This record gives sequence, structure tokens and C-alpha cells, in this order.
Amino acid sequence: MPITDTEAMSKKPAVQPALHKVIMVGSGGVGKSALTLQFMYDEFVEDYEPTKADSYRKKVILDGEEVQIDILDTAGQEDYAAIRDNYFRSGEGFLCVFSITEDESFQATQEFREQILRVKNDENIPFLLVGNKGDLSDKRKVPLADCESLAQQWGVPYVETSAKTRENVDRVFFDLMREIRSRKMDDNKSNNVRGKDKSKRKKLKCVIL
Amino acid sequence: MAPPPVVTGISPKEGPPGTRVTIRGEHLGSKPNDLISLLICGCECQLSAEWKSPNKIIARSGPGKGRGEIIVTTSSGGEGTCTVQFRGYHETIGPLKESAVWVEEAPIQSLSWNRRSMSPSSYQLEDPLGLSVEREDRKIPEDDLHELFPDGSGDLGSENFEPTWFLLDHHHSTSFDDLRVGLSFLRRKVESQKEGQLSFLKSNVSSVMEQMDTLFLFKEKFEANVRDHGLDPTIKVEQAIKKSMTEATKLFQDVLARREKADKTRNALAVLQRYRFLFSLPLSISNNIAKNDIDAVINDYARAMNLFGKTDVVLFKKVLCEVESNINDLRDMLRKKIKIMPQTLQEQKTLIRNLINLDAGGDPGWDAIMSQYEYITHLLESSKNEHMTLDAENSKPKKPKHTRSASGSHVLEPVPIIIPQPILCVEELTAIVSERFPDLWKLGQSYFSGELQANIENNNQPAFKKIILDVVALSCKSIRSSVLPHTCDTNVKTFPTSYKESLGPHLPTALQYVCDLYSNLLALDLPTQALQFVSKLLFDLKLHTLLSSVRQCENQIKALKHEEKWQYQFNPNKGAITLVPNQLEQLIMDMIQSIKLNILNKDDKDNTLLSNDLAKHQFIAEMNKLLLTIVNLMDELSSGSNDQEDNMPVSQLIGSPMVHSDKQLSGTFYEERLLLTLSNCRYIHYSMFPRWNNLFIQNGLISIKESLHLTIESLMTLENKLIENYIEIKSDPLVGTIEPSMYLGHFDWDTNIPPSDLKPYAKEILSNIIAVHAELVRIVPGVIHKVISGIVETVAEELSRLMSCVTKFSDCGKEQAYVDMSSLKNTLSQYCTENAKAYFLEALDVIPPLTAAQREKVDEILTQFQSPSDPERTFEIYPSLPIQPEINQPTPPLPYNIQPTPTIPSNSYTSSSNVLPHTLDEMKVKFKFLYDSNMEDMEMVQILSLVNKTKQSSRNLDELISDIESVDFSLERSVISST
Repeated sequence: MPITDTEAMSKKPAVQPALHKVIMVGSGGVGKSALTLQFMYDEFVEDYEPTKADSYRKKVILDGEEVQIDILDTAGQEDYAAIRDNYFRSGEGFLCVFSITEDESFQATQEFREQILRVKNDENIPFLLVGNKGDLSDKRKVPLADCESLAQQWGVPYVETSAKTRENVDRVFFDLMREIRSRKMDDNKSNNVRGKDKSKRKKLKCVIL
Repeated sequence: MAPPPVVTGISPKEGPPGTRVTIRGEHLGSKPNDLISLLICGCECQLSAEWKSPNKIIARSGPGKGRGEIIVTTSSGGEGTCTVQFRGYHETIGPLKESAVWVEEAPIQSLSWNRRSMSPSSYQLEDPLGLSVEREDRKIPEDDLHELFPDGSGDLGSENFEPTWFLLDHHHSTSFDDLRVGLSFLRRKVESQKEGQLSFLKSNVSSVMEQMDTLFLFKEKFEANVRDHGLDPTIKVEQAIKKSMTEATKLFQDVLARREKADKTRNALAVLQRYRFLFSLPLSISNNIAKNDIDAVINDYARAMNLFGKTDVVLFKKVLCEVESNINDLRDMLRKKIKIMPQTLQEQKTLIRNLINLDAGGDPGWDAIMSQYEYITHLLESSKNEHMTLDAENSKPKKPKHTRSASGSHVLEPVPIIIPQPILCVEELTAIVSERFPDLWKLGQSYFSGELQANIENNNQPAFKKIILDVVALSCKSIRSSVLPHTCDTNVKTFPTSYKESLGPHLPTALQYVCDLYSNLLALDLPTQALQFVSKLLFDLKLHTLLSSVRQCENQIKALKHEEKWQYQFNPNKGAITLVPNQLEQLIMDMIQSIKLNILNKDDKDNTLLSNDLAKHQFIAEMNKLLLTIVNLMDELSSGSNDQEDNMPVSQLIGSPMVHSDKQLSGTFYEERLLLTLSNCRYIHYSMFPRWNNLFIQNGLISIKESLHLTIESLMTLENKLIENYIEIKSDPLVGTIEPSMYLGHFDWDTNIPPSDLKPYAKEILSNIIAVHAELVRIVPGVIHKVISGIVETVAEELSRLMSCVTKFSDCGKEQAYVDMSSLKNTLSQYCTENAKAYFLEALDVIPPLTAAQREKVDEILTQFQSPSDPERTFEIYPSLPIQPEINQPTPPLPYNIQPTPTIPSNSYTSSSNVLPHTLDEMKVKFKFLYDSNMEDMEMVQILSLVNKTKQSSRNLDELISDIESVDFSLERSVISST
């Protein structure tokens, strides 16, 4: 038994580099999949095909340390809103994407933020507000000021990207991973001390809500 | 070796079997074929895999369930790994899920109390302990759990729910504390649920009450209803329904029955319509037969047999029976019709084809041939017999008969020229054969060439040949029996008139018919055997016609003796010619022309009539006969016996005015007749015969030189006989008168009267001879010398006899005798033959010799006698002129006015200069001989105008002369007829 145990252990987390689970959220058609594919495979997909739920995972070097990034690319359409809860639950960091050429997608971010907070029950969950389609600045509908003010209001960073030009694509993923990493380190530190409390508190809140 | 493939992306990450999955990663193969295997959740999906690029494969997920790896294997990189997983699930059909199956709705109501999630993800129950779900990869395998709890289940809804399973399954690595918290959470939840029931009722009191009221109301109403209608109101309804059902059925049955009937009618109508063709077939067949449109019948019949021939439908069979009987009638009709003659080839062919198309059986083509054959034979026989009967009738009474004309259909009035029945028969026979036989032949040809689609029996070919030969032979035989009876067998019935010569003139007509027939048959390409029949017939007929035309000519020549009127024309070249020779020549020429026209022209190249030896021989024989007939004619004419017996009984009554006028008209003294015949003979001999030979050859006949030679011999004999007769006739009275004249007035040679001139007897002798000479010159100048010589000889003989009888001469008598003899001798010396000279010398010797004085005196008298001063002696000059018997030599001028045209050389026609007469007077001189023959000035003018016209058109002289000769000839004729 011990032998098998060790074998099993060595197979799983011991050898595997740290895994950061990133979830892409945002309205349909804002470019979540485009950002993901650009990041993963350096390709820009012109065709629009609504996503249901895609999963990507690859090894990256984050600040000299090999880590794995697991990206869950979710469906932006309202049809799938019901199953979002389950996805969100497993997420460790979120990229909340909207299109700067579409005000509605910007407004929708509010709802996503609230849902994430509700599912994760954590105000400080790693979270980035991403304004995509930066290359289409001439069609811009959402003023930069509004975006930045909203991010400031939420206490999250705001980055403008372009999946087409790959502008700031790597940056948003790496920034998020850094936040997740630092957040995990914090958790590990405090896990031994306040693990129970935290979970209790969490549960209680849920019940009340 | 390329690095192994790594799958790093999956889209979507979960789905039911068959989901279209986009797989992304690295080194997924260098080309489509490089991809060996694609495993999704352990299921091989390579079949549906679509290799896009080394980074992308699109495939469809297999039936794998649960989470599973996506393993790509390439031949270049081997088995690969993956960093993402696919979760296959089997979709549970929910009420909100679009589905093709029926979803039972009942559980929903129960669920409503449970407040279970109705979202599509309801299968993923919230954890009853309120704890977060553990990571999937830490799960204890389901199989292990099954082993641990063989009867249990980890399903919360299951009856044999095993909590331990559930905890192991879901909270395998949850800390005990957490589990306790979860338990308390569960308890709280259960309590809150209980509490929630009460509070739910409390909060909804009003509506609960309302529901209760409604239920009461409903109960009351239900009870009232039960009171009113009984517990089971359906009985009445059921009865009503049953009643209405029966009613409906009844109604429906009615409708159905009617509809069925209508359907049947419609079906029947449709059948009628559809097979209208068949049903109307009997009628249409009889209509078409009435219209004689057999082709249509055949078409219809064939179509009907094709369509319905093998039908099992009774109705159709019935109709077909009717049709069949109609067709049988038609077949019988056609069969009868094919035997009805006459009909054209086309009609017959049509009938045959129809019969064959109607499957009439038998051999209609052969039947048709046979009926044609029988018909032709019958026609030939009956036509022949009919003509024979007619002929037999006609040969008895000589009344006008009805003859069939060439066209053969209408009856004519008595025809001036009655065509003999045999000829008519030939005409009809040839017409029948020409008309009918080609049909028979062509029918046979088309029969054997298969044009008639008939089955040809093998023995038919020789039979047909026999038929053809039979027909040809029969027609030939019939024709022979009518016009060539001598070539027929003796037992064959022939025409009674066929032997008569009267058939002769009509033979060319028959020949023409046969020739036409032959050419018709030639065009048909018949077997040579058949053609030989006809060509043999043709040859025989030609020969017969040729001979009969010669014979005919002979008869005409014989008849000429009645034509001789003894009127003559004097031709300086040829002497006096009567009309007979010209008529003869005309007849001969006519004969040649008719032979040429009717017989020779019809010769084909390889079958010339006269190249055949037999024909030649027969022709020559006939020609000999003909020419001899001419000689006989001449002979008969000269003797005139027939004339005197038959036609001229009046000639015996000499001295009557009748005879005198008759004599003047006909001018037939016996001597003159002799001379004219002689002249004619010579003319025929020297002028005509040489011409005739050429004439024959020119006209395509063979040379008749030998016949002519033969004839000339007999002609010469005749001439000599005639001359002798003439000499006898003339010299007898002449010689007879010498003695009486010498001793007229008791003259005695012992006289004392000195001679001063010739004695009258001598002068009489001379004048008598001159008279004969004159007659000869007028009629036959050519024989003058011969005749006169003969006469002189007899005269000399008589003189010598008389002198030798003188007993005594006185001196004067001596002188006188000497003068007479010498002068006669000298004068007639030109005509003296050796015998005559001897006789003269004999006579002179009898006279005693003269003295010198006497001789002087005699010489003086002689000189005086021979001087030309005396017009009485003008003829003394004449004997000095040369007299030659040549016919074309200039005629010696005569001392009397009968001499013709002395101013013109008689051969001016052929040898004179080109100077032509320009005026009427000149003309008169030039053509005096014509003028003499009572030619009117008007006619002369005609000739003159002809001459002038000719000159204008500068024709050559010979042509002109021949023209004038023709005019001459016709004028001569006109002169004769006018007199």
C-alpha cells in the first residue's frame, strides 16, 4: 500500500507544476475565445462560432517558474447562464472581457462580477477587467474613462487588449496568473490558521443569502 | 522522430456522443495521413477525425462516458499526451429539453414540492452537505465502490442508498470537521424545510381556503350531476352513439353502394375507352373493307393481334373471334379477288401483300401467278377462236362485216379496206401478250425476289419457267396459226383465209405487231429460251412477209398487162417507151420500199433476215419468178392475144368507126405493138435492170445480179423473137409486091425502051424500106440496122431469084436491070449483110454484060439518080450517115418531120454545157420533145420558173436536171391522164 501511495502521490501534484485555473467571462462575441486562442496558439480566429465551454491547458513560464495555466473558455450567451455557477466555482481567477465597441457588453460586466462574487464568496478573487477589440478604436463606444472608473470602483486592474494584434494578450493572462499565485501563497499561509473560520464564515453567509 | 503530440485544448470540453470537437495542441501530425489514432475518452474517433493542421484536429466524440483523456497518436511522433480532458455524458431528457421522445410530465408535480432545480444541470445535484465538490481526479473508481457495496448505490434518489458510498464518492478527502459541518448543514436544511411547510401554509392561508371552497363547490356540483344524470351518464350517450353509428353506417352503405356502382360504370367506361380500338375493330374492319382500305385493316388486325392476341380476357376473346371471322371473310374475298382477272400488276401485288400480311396461308403469290397464267392462256385461246369463227363467217358471205379496230373496243361501220381477220387476230394476240405478259413476268420476278414476302417453294421456280415458256409458245403458236400456217403442225387449226394471197398486203402490219411484241419482251429480260420462240416466229414471219410482198408485186406486174394503153413517149435515148416499164419500175420500187420499211428496218443487228441462207435462197427464187413474170408480161403484151380475146373483141371489126376511134386512142397495130414491146424490152434490159441491182443493194437487199442475168437472157430471146416476127411481118408483103410491081404493065426485060430512070418497082422497094425505117426510128431506133438488114436480105434474095428467072434480056432491058440492081445495091449498101451482098451480086451476074457505051449510059443514069437535086431523093444522104445500134448514140436525122428535136443534141441532158434555157422559146426548143407531147405553155412556164429559181439559188446543174426529170415524169403522167 505505501508503495502504491507514493507512486500515486508522485504522479499527481508532486511532479506537476502549479496549476492556475483561469475562467474567461463576458458577453457573447466580445472576443473571449479569440483572446484564449491568441494566447494559447498565437492564432487569430476570424470566424465567429459561439463557444459552449472550452478547456485549454498549457505550461508557461511565469517569472522563471514553470506553471500550468488552465483556461476555461465559457459561453457568453445568456442561454448558458444557468450552468455558469458550476464553472465559476472551480475558477481561481477571472478575466472579465467586454468589447469597447459595444456598450451593452460593458454593462453586462456588472452582472458577471456580481455572479462571480456570489459564487466565489470572495471580494478579492483575482479578477481583471479587459476591454477587448482595442484595434477598433475608431468604433469605440465605451469611453476609456468609464472603464477605468468602473475598474477603480471594483478595485481591479483594467487592461485594454486586441486579440487581433495580440496587444496586451499575454499581459492579461500573466497578470492574472501572478495574482492567483500570490493569492494562493496567502491562502497557504493562512490556511493552517484560519481555514475553519473562513469556511464557516463562508457557509454562513451562503445560508443567509 | 518528431516530438509526440500534445493536446492542450478542447472545444467544447464536454458533450453527448457525437459532439463536434475541436482539438488543439502541438505536433498533432504533419499531414492528414500522419494521424494514426485519436482516442477521446477511450473511444477511437479517428474515423471522424479531420486533420486541419499540426495544431488542430476536428472530430466527433464517441460514446465514451465520463471524463477521459484525448490521446492523439501520429506515425511521426508516436502516442501523445494531453493536458485537457473531455467529458462525455448521456443527455437526460428533461421537460425543457427539445427532444424527439415523449417526456412524462407527472414527476414535475412531485418535484415542484421538492423545489429541485429544473435547470438542464439538475442532474448535478447540489451537495446535500453543502460542501464543495472535490476534485474529480481524486475520486475513488466506481468499480471499487461497487465492490465494496454490492447492493448499494451512491445515488441520493435511490432506494438502496448507501451513505458511505456517497461520502466516499463525493467527500473522499474531506476532513472530518468539514463533514461534521456538512452534517449540521444538512440537519439545518431539513429543519428549515419542515419549518418551511408550515410557514408556506401560513403564508398562503387565503389561497388554501379558496381551494377548499372550490373543492366543496366542485363536490356539490358533482353530486348534483350524479343526481341528474345518474352515476354513469355514458349509457345514454353510448346508446345514442350506437344509434347514430347504425344510422351512419346505413347512410354510408348507401353512399358506398352508389359509389361502387359508379365506380363499376366508370371502370367499364374506362375499359371501353381504353380498349375502344379493340371493340370498334370489327366495325372499323368492315368499314375499311367497304372502303377498300385493306392496308388499314391489316394494320388494325396486326395491332390487335399484338395487343390482345394472347389475352385471357373472355370479352376480348369474343371480340377477337368476331374480328377473326371478319378477317377470314376478308381473306376469302381477297383470295377470290386475286383470281379475278384482269387486274393490274399493282393491284395484284397489293392483294398478295395484303393476303400475306393477313397470314392467309397458302401461297397467294403463286396463286396470282397461276391465275395470271390461266387468264393469259384463256385470253389467247379465246381470242384466237373468236377470230377463227369470225373468219369462217366472213369467208362465206361477202357482206360488210364488223371488224374490231386497232384499239379493239368499239365497232366500226364497214371499213373500206377490210383488214383480214388473221391480222386482227395477230393484233389482238400481240396486244394481249404485250399487255398481260409483262405483268405475269414481273409478278413472277417479284415473287421470286422475295418482294412479296411469300414463302417460295422450291419446285415453283421451274414451274414458273414452264409457265413463261408455255405462254410465249402458245402466243407464238397462235400467231403462227393465223399468219404463218405453213409453219404450223398440220393438226393445228388455222384460219381459212390464211392461205389466201389477200393476206399479203397486211402482213407488214402483223409483222409490226410481232416486232413490237418482241421488243416488249426483250425489255423484260426474259429467259433466252422464251425469246427464241419469239425471235424464230419473227424470223419466219419476216421471211414470209418478204416473200409474200415479192409475190404480191409479181401479181401486180401480171395485172399490168391490162394497164397497157399503148400510148408512148419518145425518148431520143431510149426510143419510144410506153407506160408499162415505168409502172413496172414503180411497182418494183414500191416493193423495195415496202420491204425496206416494213421488214428490213425491223431487223436487229444479229438477226438479219437476208443473211440467212434459206431466206436468201427463197428470196432469190421469188425474184427469179418475178423477173420472169416481167418477161412473160412483155411476151404477152407483144402477142396481145389476151387483149384481143378478153378486152378488145372490137378490134376484129376493122373498118368500123368504133374501131377507128379505138385504134386512135390505143394505137395498137400489131406491128406497132411489136415494136413498142421491143422498145420496152430494150429499155428494161439496158436502162432498168442495171438500175435495179443498185436499187436493191442500196436498200439493204441482196444483189439480184444472177437473177437479172437469167432474165436478160430470156429477154434477149424475146427481143430476137420480136425482131424476127417484125421482119417477117414487114418483109413478107414487101417481097411479095416486088414481082407484081416489076412486071406491072406487062413489062418484059426484053424491052426496047431505053432506061432513063429506075424502074418504079425499085423505087417502091426503097420507099417501102424507108417506111419501115421511119416506123423504127419513131419507136425503136436501136434496132433499125438489124431490122432493115434483115429486110434488105430478103429483098436481095427475092431480086436475085427474080433476075435469075428472067429468060431473055434485050439491050435496053440489060441496061435497065443493071441500073436497078446497082442503084438498089448502092443505096442499101449500108444495110447489106454478106448474104444480101451475095444475092445482089448474084442478081447482077444474071444480067448479061454491058457494052462500054451501055455502061456509060447506065453510069449517067445512076449519077443522076444519086444527085441530091431531086427532093425525092433526099434520103440518099441518109444511108451515108453512120447507123449504130447503140441506144445512147444520137439518133440519125430523118427526112420527115417525125424526127424529134433535130436542133438539140439528144444527150444534152448529161453532156451539154451549163447554158440553160432562159426564155420560153428557148425552152420550147430545148424541151421540144416535151412540147410535142401536147405540153401547155403553162407547164412550160412552170419548168422555166423552176429553172430560174434553181439558178437563183445556184444549185448545181445535176440537181436541176434531176428536178426537171421529175417534173418531166409527172408531166408525162398528167398528159397521159388528160388524154
